[in-house]
Amino acid sequence: MEVVMSIWAFFQNNVLTKPAFFVGFIVFIGYLLLKKPVYDALAGFIKATVGYMILNVASGGLVGNFRPILAGLNQRFSLNAAVIDPYFGQAAAQAAVESIGRSFTMMMQVLLISFLWNLLLVFCRKLSKVRTVFITGHIMVQQSSTALWMVLLCFPGLNDPGVVVMLGLLLGTYWAVSSNMTVGATQELTDGGGFAVGHQQMFGIWAVDKLAGRISSKGSKKLEDLKLPGFLSIFNENIVATAILMSLFFGAIMVILGSGTMHKMDSSFSATQNFGFYIVEKSFNFAVYLQILQLGVRLFVSELTESFQGISAKLLPGSMPAVDCAATYGFGHPNAVTIGFLFGAFGQFLAIIGLIVFRSPVFVITGFVPVFFDNATFAVFANRKGGIKAAVIVTFCSGIIQVLGGAFAAYYFKLAQFGGWHGNFDWDTVWPVFGVLMNNFKYTGVGICIVFLLVIPQLEYYFGRYRRGDYFKVVENYAAVKKTE
Amino acid sequence: MEACMLKVVAACGSGMGSSMMIKLKLQKVLKELGIAADVKNTNAGEAKSTASQYHVIVCSESLRDTFKSAEERGTAVVTLKNLLDEKELKEKLLQAGVAELEKKVTV
Repeated sequence: MEVVMSIWAFFQNNVLTKPAFFVGFIVFIGYLLLKKPVYDALAGFIKATVGYMILNVASGGLVGNFRPILAGLNQRFSLNAAVIDPYFGQAAAQAAVESIGRSFTMMMQVLLISFLWNLLLVFCRKLSKVRTVFITGHIMVQQSSTALWMVLLCFPGLNDPGVVVMLGLLLGTYWAVSSNMTVGATQELTDGGGFAVGHQQMFGIWAVDKLAGRISSKGSKKLEDLKLPGFLSIFNENIVATAILMSLFFGAIMVILGSGTMHKMDSSFSATQNFGFYIVEKSFNFAVYLQILQLGVRLFVSELTESFQGISAKLLPGSMPAVDCAATYGFGHPNAVTIGFLFGAFGQFLAIIGLIVFRSPVFVITGFVPVFFDNATFAVFANRKGGIKAAVIVTFCSGIIQVLGGAFAAYYFKLAQFGGWHGNFDWDTVWPVFGVLMNNFKYTGVGICIVFLLVIPQLEYYFGRYRRGDYFKVVENYAAVKKTE
Repeated sequence: MEACMLKVVAACGSGMGSSMMIKLKLQKVLKELGIAADVKNTNAGEAKSTASQYHVIVCSESLRDTFKSAEERGTAVVTLKNLLDEKELKEKLLQAGVAELEKKVTV
């Protein structure tokens, strides 16, 4: 017995509490289960583990790069700031979890339980009315990270297994139900494309789909007729867009703080370096760390996504994969993507000015992912139902909501001290509400959230646009239930 | 071996989600076509600046303009409406002449 215990202790100390090895271990086992050769499994183990270690380097770099600026803001204006972006949010959540001495491996454990719970809900679809399996690996990592911190904050006394199981059920239900909510709208947009959205703004897509048709005025123009200036296309490139956004925001902040404060706060700012070049270097550093972070995530997530897709296709034929929101962009005009980004950004900037004017304790910095991907998606869906007018209004409002919700969440969940909040639409609306419920009503709160989520597909089944007999047919045979407009 | 293999890259905005889905479909469809290829996925910016290293770029129709210059310089660009539709992918790959490209590369 003692031998078993010491082996377990060894495993726990070296693998279970070390996320990098835990990820590698899971990939290794997964490969063996899929009957791949051992050398493939080993290669998978190495890629996953190294990928996670790269991610660690980048997360640390991101938070570290931000620290002197945060400290300066804190000292001069007693203000906290958060970049609303899922990568910043993930890095901030990891820093927060580790700051209270808990293990971040729980993130991966939560992810696995949530995925399995999602599968089980689809397996029992006659009862649960859930049709979609969420398989977008990098999103699952980000959401598990942020949600893990929320639970640890609301239940500081709960032990690791308790946290993992409880959050696994909540997050898995969210993945299943929210992606299921996009089935009708996505099938209509793609004319039976056979996928749903499994990303960060599914409640948003549902709402846009309901609202856009009402906003449109008669004979309103479609985005296709619009001519946009060519320079906007540089925002299609991730690095360029991030570097520009970061330079704008951090440049402004650092100019306000002044070179004196920055010298005091940041030892890497040498006496001979020009302030302007320092600002550009500092801002570009964010783009650097984001690129490294994404490289790391890409390495270990590609292993995950591949096996998730394999598992769900094998175990649950007829279920619908819920994938990245960018899969919808091919069904909208390229202008829709640009317009969504542009008006989302207007909305965000306006709301940020609002935060300053009304002296919010948290300052928000626009992150690239939410402002681009959420709003581009909304614009694609809105344009189809309501033309330009709907796309513009919807994304402008979404930008405002993202900032206000993000500022509240970064403050309430104490992540502003670590400089980031998740920032995508559902995480500025639905999840802060979940968090407040959890914080105030504890286990009852979690229960309310799960029941609320589980009721949604039932309502859709009985009262939705594709109800009862059509409900499962939308997935299996769209042409048969297609509504002519 | 590596040097004389058809090189295909799937690209999307951030190089994380949809390019990963394209990559999975690519691997499946190319196997069905009996074409051995090295398939990667990355973000649009990187794919654009390293386009000359690939024979084929596959992406969403919304990114068509990003790869105009790569296409002019001779890399085959395949743009998809539905990233998950294997039939569309197969047809467009054949249209772009992957079979001929593979023969040219492996000789």
